Amino acid sequence: MTSYRLGNAGSVNRGQPLTFTFDGKNYKGFEGDTLASGLLANDQMLMGRSFKYHRPRGPVTAGSSEPNALMTIGTGARSEPNVRATVAELYNGLTAVSQNRWPSLTFDVGAVNGLLSPMLGAGFYYKTFMWPAALWEKLYEPVIRRAAGLGKLAMQADPDRYEKSWAHCDLLVIGSGPTGLMAALAAGRAGARVILVDEGFRLGGSLLSESASIGGVSPADFAAAMIEELEALPNVTLMPRTTVFGWYDDMVFGAVERVQKHVGTPSPDLPMERLWRIAAKRAILATGSEERPLVFGGNDKPGVMTASAVRTYANRYGVAAGGKIAVFTNGGSGYRTAADLVAAGVDVTAIIDARAQSADAVPDNVRVIRNGAVVSTKGRKRLEALIAERSGFQEQIACDALAMAGGWSPIVHLMCQRGAKPVWSDEAQAFLAPDVGAAFIAAGSAAGQDRISACLKDGATKAVALARELGFAAYEMNIPEVEGEYDPAFAPIWYVPGARDKAFVDFQNDVAVSDLGLAQREGFRHIEHTKRYTTAGMATDQGKLGNVATIGIVAGMRGVSPAAIGTTTFRPFYTPVSFGALAGTSRSEHAAPVRTSPLHDWAKKNGATFVEAGLWHRSAWFPREGEKGWRDSVDREVKNVRRNAGLCDVSTLGKIEIFGKGAAEFLNRIYCNNFLKLPVGKARYGLMLREDGMIFDDGTTSRLSETHYVMTTTTAYAAEVMSHLEFASQTFWPELDVRFVSSTDQWAQMSLAGPKARAIISRVVEDDISDAAFPYLAAKPVTLRGGLKARLFRISFSGELAFELAVPAGYGEAVADALMEAGKDEGICAYGVEALNVLRIEKGFITHNEIDGRTTPDDLGYGRMLAMQKADFIGKRQSSRFGLTAADRMQLVGLKPVEVDKEFMAGAHLLKEGATPSMANDQGWVSSVCHSPTLGHVIGLAMLKSGRERYGEKIVVWDGLRGKEVAAAVCPPVFADPDNRKLQE
Amino acid sequence: MSLTLFHQHVLEDHLSGFEAKANPNHLAAIRRPAIFSVLAHRGHEVFVKSGLASIEGVQVRDCAPGEWLVVSTGLGAVVMENTLAEIAGASVIDQSDGRALLRIHGPNVRRILAKCVAVDLHPDGFAVGTSTNMLCCHVAVNLARSGGDTFEIVVPRSFCGSVFEEIMEMGREFALTAAFADS
Amino acid sequence: MASLITCPHCGTRPKEEFSIRGTALGRPHPAVSEEDWHRYVYLRDNPKGRYQEYWHHAAGCRRWLVVDRDNVTHDVFGVTDAATFGRVGE
Ligand SMILES: [Zn+2]
Repeated sequence: MTSYRLGNAGSVNRGQPLTFTFDGKNYKGFEGDTLASGLLANDQMLMGRSFKYHRPRGPVTAGSSEPNALMTIGTGARSEPNVRATVAELYNGLTAVSQNRWPSLTFDVGAVNGLLSPMLGAGFYYKTFMWPAALWEKLYEPVIRRAAGLGKLAMQADPDRYEKSWAHCDLLVIGSGPTGLMAALAAGRAGARVILVDEGFRLGGSLLSESASIGGVSPADFAAAMIEELEALPNVTLMPRTTVFGWYDDMVFGAVERVQKHVGTPSPDLPMERLWRIAAKRAILATGSEERPLVFGGNDKPGVMTASAVRTYANRYGVAAGGKIAVFTNGGSGYRTAADLVAAGVDVTAIIDARAQSADAVPDNVRVIRNGAVVSTKGRKRLEALIAERSGFQEQIACDALAMAGGWSPIVHLMCQRGAKPVWSDEAQAFLAPDVGAAFIAAGSAAGQDRISACLKDGATKAVALARELGFAAYEMNIPEVEGEYDPAFAPIWYVPGARDKAFVDFQNDVAVSDLGLAQREGFRHIEHTKRYTTAGMATDQGKLGNVATIGIVAGMRGVSPAAIGTTTFRPFYTPVSFGALAGTSRSEHAAPVRTSPLHDWAKKNGATFVEAGLWHRSAWFPREGEKGWRDSVDREVKNVRRNAGLCDVSTLGKIEIFGKGAAEFLNRIYCNNFLKLPVGKARYGLMLREDGMIFDDGTTSRLSETHYVMTTTTAYAAEVMSHLEFASQTFWPELDVRFVSSTDQWAQMSLAGPKARAIISRVVEDDISDAAFPYLAAKPVTLRGGLKARLFRISFSGELAFELAVPAGYGEAVADALMEAGKDEGICAYGVEALNVLRIEKGFITHNEIDGRTTPDDLGYGRMLAMQKADFIGKRQSSRFGLTAADRMQLVGLKPVEVDKEFMAGAHLLKEGATPSMANDQGWVSSVCHSPTLGHVIGLAMLKSGRERYGEKIVVWDGLRGKEVAAAVCPPVFADPDNRKLQE
Repeated sequence: MSLTLFHQHVLEDHLSGFEAKANPNHLAAIRRPAIFSVLAHRGHEVFVKSGLASIEGVQVRDCAPGEWLVVSTGLGAVVMENTLAEIAGASVIDQSDGRALLRIHGPNVRRILAKCVAVDLHPDGFAVGTSTNMLCCHVAVNLARSGGDTFEIVVPRSFCGSVFEEIMEMGREFALTAAFADS
Repeated sequence: MASLITCPHCGTRPKEEFSIRGTALGRPHPAVSEEDWHRYVYLRDNPKGRYQEYWHHAAGCRRWLVVDRDNVTHDVFGVTDAATFGRVGE
């Protein structure tokens, strides 16, 4: 193995050697290396296989646009596919494995696809897998799936933590090259809050890779001095290892910080990655520009890379891309690369310049072939030679690396993510950033500036102007002198004619010039169609390298300017972002916040099984020893409530305190029934309608004083009802004096139901709660024995004699314990929401199963509650419209199976006896079903056409989903105590 | 039968496993603060606000136009209720059991809270004494700056366990500790 | 990823703090015609472009706001408290 590490060049830390493995083999690198530079230093040019043809590939770049050098890094659950070796920071013990090859990188069976390449051209999948359609599931899809995809997932849960954070600043600077550093320093010195972000693990951008003298020092030293000053400014935040991946509404930028991707043993107290939302008043795009590859025959051979990448490997990492390097260029970048290589002692075999002449300085003893072209390359797993052509004569030139310089494309993706398209410039021969307003501007080479000196000036000038706009004092920056910079001007050449091999425009997806031609011939001419037909630009690199060439070549084929072709659509993310970072902490049990009742611990110690109801965890039932399933527990709880008494946690019901002299009038307009004359100390059941006449929610509201009410809502609709009240108060009737505040969390509320409820509760409450003193629907403040203030309501959702006791939440568990203790001899039990549901179905009380947005009060048998004599209430006007009063509307009924051992389920539909099961014959549906322990069989509530006229009718319950039909009898929707005797006891 | 009832803080179980010794970044859960909602009726907003400002030993937290949370770690709920009852044009309701009061303090407090809230807490825009309702760890809370490096968060009780755990998770990076405090 | 709305009472907040109810329409007087009520309850213009919507600052001041914005570009022209928004039919 040859070492390509150059003497003492570059800024890797030679005092800190690192070891790592690639495909099981050990290598050595240095701190400051990327995985790619570490491999190149060890003469490992072959780093991957292409997607379609499995062609051997090496790195083309030294940065984030890399299409080829994708690897799986890490082991076990931490293994991550498709990591770009060109940006992966080397660390001790890093384990990398190549992808998309079998059985090995050097011998890959899939490479046979390359031999079939004439058959695998553009549109191959569309053409091949069309017919017969029946083969899709069994043959085509599995074959494509096996062949497709670049890496493999670990298939284990991600062991690491992820976080999200907000950041706020006056100025966000994206990119820390010459432009970004000057911009950040200028605004920072002016006093603005600045955030400087760079995707690299070292700040400095291209300054780390270029040779010149800035203010008398090397670009890397200049960057170091700037960073030192920036670090000392308290109003400046530096964020290396952070990629701004998206620009969103209202100047919020999405960014991902790789906090521990470069760490062998991650700390459990730090996240692996952190997702940032950066809200910036202004932003500067200082992302620089991308060097374009040249499109020539055999341009994908390992060893062919951009000239700037070759320069970066040499100047930053101290690594020669090869032992004998050739240069193919259309501008100054090729010459500068040759000069830097010569200075580092690397053999440059030739500069092949596509242009007839240029003023670029030629290093001593380097041969220049002007008007030249590379038409083919030799070698299999590594470049061995190239065929250069000049005036029809061909010549073979031995080389193991080729630096190609095809011109520059400003990196403007972020500015184009919100609809604006980049603008073609004939002068720059590139797509430039669009004008997206004054808050977000491009500077430096992202704005088409091509020299370091121009970038330094542009960054400073624009940042000063933005800072001044935000009210910061102007700060004039000294722009240091730059000596020895080169002229990066170029003469574009989209496609080098005379190719003898495939000339690739998209390396990762193996899209060649011939594919683009085929797409044009077959009618996929719009650039978005060309893209999808050929898959150019659709790989993980999203065409960062190849898209401009694709557009240029298609323009050439059609004889138009690239401006006429336009670009495809830019969308976030700029580079791939892990799902972990996007999810943050919202995974597993932390996917959403959890709400717990103040009686949660009480329920837990009584053995409750919990059920999620919205964000709440509610006690569903309380299993006891010997019970075989939930039905046993629920049956027991129901029977016990009807026979003795039960305690149920109803703390989750919404509670809204309503105050004001206008409260009575307000409630009267909110509810469809009368509330104006509700006496103090009483509760009333009410129905709220939507403006379209359908029921919105139900609940009780109690009057605690002349001007103070407390409303209860269903658990599910607590937030909606509160918003509804606020909406009505603030926008309909702001003149009414009424104020609200939620007190849901203040109270632990327990329903004590059953014939023995009064006996039990009177042992805990001091006040007289006899029927005379505390009749049905009484609602008053009470005092518990011992002095605690509480609220007591005589309301029932079970049909039994029942009280709801509300105590301050912190005392909830203690009071529930006291009630259980007080009721021990009476046979009290805890019951959950399942039993509560059975009790209410037996009693025919409604929930949102029945209030499903399609039902009116009359549909549910509450027609008499509609107080149409009121001047106004929400829903009044639509309640009298034709469709809502039609005689054949669905009405609430009860259902009993004709044979008591037969069961049916909610959701089933209703048919007339003998009718064919079809929606045309639909008579209604079953809304709620339970097994009634009181009656000993299944019962249901249902919505049935003209239902109230059909009591006694036999009907078919049709469960199309389960293919079941059960005969049932229609009955009134009250199965227990229809005369309400128990409520009044 | 006279009842002796024990009062439970919502974080009782959550705080049992934590280090008692406070690190520089520390979260205190106040045991029994008095917290009241105060609502000004139409036309009384200014009067109620100045009435609240004149009460000693309480912090007044802005919630909305004409709505405040009045918080005290010194006054008991009974004293507070009586004092507030004297303000004309206001409706008052005890929320001491419905809200938990968390105080988070330390050199990295803003870095921690940036992971919990979207609002810019830079002192230029969020000075000491500022308070407002906002989302914190996906839950609507009231957040106040009570000192340069100190913030107080009033959290609905039912969400408190969730919010507490999330803040502690976000504080791991800075060795955030937590314990009960009486005031 | 994010949108920010500046509440006149609370300042700049992320969209997660709000819920949207649709077109900002004044509720008709109870006595106006059937047609006016029908229009209010059921008919919406759903324009592309500038649009006034009710936004509820649910996690903040809990005030209902009228956000005047372009629903294509999300340019926000103004945010006002809905209590000051006009009513029809009076
Ligand atoms: Zn607000």
